[in-house]
Amino acid sequence: MLGKLIKYDLQAASRIFILIHGIYILICLAARFFYMDKLNFDNPTELLVTSLALFMILYIVLISALGIFTSLQIAFRFYKNLFSREGYLSWTLPVSGVQHLWGKLISGYILLVIDATVIAAGILILVTGKNVTDAYSVIADSVTNELGMTISSFGLFVYLFVLVSCISSVVMIYFCIAVGQLFPGHRVLCAIAAYFITSFVIQIFSLLLMALMGCFPGYEFYQSKGAAMTVYMSKLFLASAILMLLILVIQYIATHYIMKKKIDLL
Amino acid sequence: MRPILECQRLTKKYGSFFALSNVTFSLERGQIVGLLGPNGSGKTTLIKLANGLLNPTDGHIMINGLAPGTATKKIVSYLPDRSFFNEYMRVKDMLAYYADFYRNFSMERAAKMLDTLEIDRSKRLSALSKGAKEKVQLVLVMSRDADLYILDEPIGGVDPAARDYILQTILTNYSDNATVLISTHLISDIENVLDRVLFLQNGQLTLNATADEIRTQYGKSVDALFREVFKC
Repeated sequence: MLGKLIKYDLQAASRIFILIHGIYILICLAARFFYMDKLNFDNPTELLVTSLALFMILYIVLISALGIFTSLQIAFRFYKNLFSREGYLSWTLPVSGVQHLWGKLISGYILLVIDATVIAAGILILVTGKNVTDAYSVIADSVTNELGMTISSFGLFVYLFVLVSCISSVVMIYFCIAVGQLFPGHRVLCAIAAYFITSFVIQIFSLLLMALMGCFPGYEFYQSKGAAMTVYMSKLFLASAILMLLILVIQYIATHYIMKKKIDLL
Repeated sequence: MRPILECQRLTKKYGSFFALSNVTFSLERGQIVGLLGPNGSGKTTLIKLANGLLNPTDGHIMINGLAPGTATKKIVSYLPDRSFFNEYMRVKDMLAYYADFYRNFSMERAAKMLDTLEIDRSKRLSALSKGAKEKVQLVLVMSRDADLYILDEPIGGVDPAARDYILQTILTNYSDNATVLISTHLISDIENVLDRVLFLQNGQLTLNATADEIRTQYGKSVDALFREVFKC
């Protein structure tokens, strides 16, 4: 049954998901051939730097929008399929609330992983032109020295971290929606409130944990270089991972309990 | 044999409002039961409790001796009072969906009924009229070999000609071992097929009798008794 739930979830999401991510890849291809490939790094001018900065801002907005879209799509599917009128069918299938939760967790995670992978592929499309790689080779050694590892290792490290953090993202989304269901009449509003309150609490705890581990952001970051930077990054990732795991477990237990015992479809 | 549906002191509160209060009854297999009452009497709440869509505040509801859960959902076929479709799906996708999740779903029976109702299986549900969607929903529900069919307002949104077909569909598609619980306001349309009647008023069960008992004891039709009991 779990496999069938996942299949139908992915089917329901696929149409818009593929369209939006396809458009993103097309934008990256267009940016590569019409912008990135035309850049001349041999003669850096103020215009080049300005246009690159502007391009990076636009690109960050684009990938943020893509990430938000995917998260919203996962949230919308969870809410619509289980707590709107579609829930009258979903909750009367011979499937338990916990199976529904796992079906949604796995399908949501798959979508987030594909999202992260497509975003990474878009970045690769943009930066793998010969002019960019040639220009980078000039500064490669100093960047490797700064990061304490090669840029590709660093990219892979970040990518793997994102893949792991996708688990906590999807649990967080479902936790907030499930908490919202405990407040009939204001379900969506309370889900949004739960998101902001949870995010705020997480921020406070992450700052506390980072302070405890001696990797408070800001001061140390700008001073770190090479091996020190690697140590700083490792600490930061470790702190994030500990906190993520802790929050993940708490949110999963709460969501599991709500889905099992507390759902009233009004 | 255990009753197919059993309620013991079943109570459901929404805040301080009692949607159902101390409802106790049991239904045996092999009958068509009318769940009747005015708006807000608790019919839909009772139906949702039977389908596990709500949790009781107090008391118990049992399907074939079990609390609503995965096992009971295999033997209960439920038609809600609203469309539960993902509108983007096609009719044939919904058939596949039902076949995937319910082992007791008969694709052949569903296809035959859809053909009789002249509903194009390749159409998207969003392209169907409200009445056609209700028909598709009823076809899906009645194409299962369930032990208990729970139909919440199954004929409310369709034209009178289609009502006859739907009632005929209900009559011909349930086995002797199954029970059909129908909630409706259109009593005169279904009166002739009812074996038993439950009257709900302000969340309480005020009558549980066979249709024949009503006719002999009160000398009235179910519809006439309903109008008298629930006169505004």
